[in-house]
Amino acid sequence: MKKTAYQLLEEAKKMIGKETEQIRCKYPIEHEPLRRYCHMVDDENPLFLDPEYAKNTKYGSAIMPPFALMMYLGHSSMWPSKEAVSLIMPPTPGSNYINMAQEWELLKPIRVGDHITFKTRLADVYMKSISIDPKAFWVVNELTFTNQNGEVVAIIRNRILVHRSPEEIKQDTGEQQN
Amino acid sequence: MKHEQLYWNDINIGDEIPGFSLELDETRVCLQVSGSQDWYAVHHDKGFANNSGMPERFFNTGFLTAAIGRLLTSWIGLEGWIRALTVEMRRMNLAGQVMTVSGKVTNKYVDGNEHFVEADVWTSTGDQVNTPCKAKVVLPARSK
Repeated sequence: MKKTAYQLLEEAKKMIGKETEQIRCKYPIEHEPLRRYCHMVDDENPLFLDPEYAKNTKYGSAIMPPFALMMYLGHSSMWPSKEAVSLIMPPTPGSNYINMAQEWELLKPIRVGDHITFKTRLADVYMKSISIDPKAFWVVNELTFTNQNGEVVAIIRNRILVHRSPEEIKQDTGEQQN
Repeated sequence: MKHEQLYWNDINIGDEIPGFSLELDETRVCLQVSGSQDWYAVHHDKGFANNSGMPERFFNTGFLTAAIGRLLTSWIGLEGWIRALTVEMRRMNLAGQVMTVSGKVTNKYVDGNEHFVEADVWTSTGDQVNTPCKAKVVLPARSK
């Protein structure tokens, strides 16, 4: 029998505080993904794109644009892996995701060639209605990133909304009425 | 892009941050996926977006924060540093729209030996603010 939203919420709340082990990003920071990242918003900053320019700056090499870190984790998938590894997602009634908020704290530059490790903690889960789903779940993850020297380079708190599709709501409503 | 260095001494509360606009056309939809590596279909597949209850594909967080990052890093210059950013995805920036990225200084102060500036930055489509953010940056100060 399908679990109700309240049953799922109870299960989800038991997961608060759960942490992953330290996860090492598959690849070191590389030039080409940063070039494609910059291209998507027409960011021509030579500090990110031009190693010759960047080596003469205080950084000594090209650095990652400040908010590219989540991209590097392949947060929706890191093909050929089938699963996203960056967020802890509890059981939810719906399966449609909308990222709602992020809080970034940037502590140290990340250079091309650095190898990043991170750990994720499920910080909170709650139910809060939205216009298209009265039983939408909100999931908060906190990610801490360290470089190959063990230095914390960034901390991100990410709040994601998980909602049911109109079809799923119709189905759930029908099951509740039976 | 601007290469001049911004100094804390030259900032005034209320200063506008030089902004820019991006047309969220089909090419930009593809660039968004390429650059962010976010393959969630709601961001590139119109049918999937509609079946999820969305009017159109909406641009993802990676894209929005990249645009905000471009605004801020262009403004603060090589010696500046973005210390913190909060981002709220309140409304969607949809495929087919023109998205503008803007900002305004809200505060400046010294803490220890660091010179901070705080700013509201946002993305908008037309008059609608979609992604309100708060940024905190560290700037160099001119020596006396």
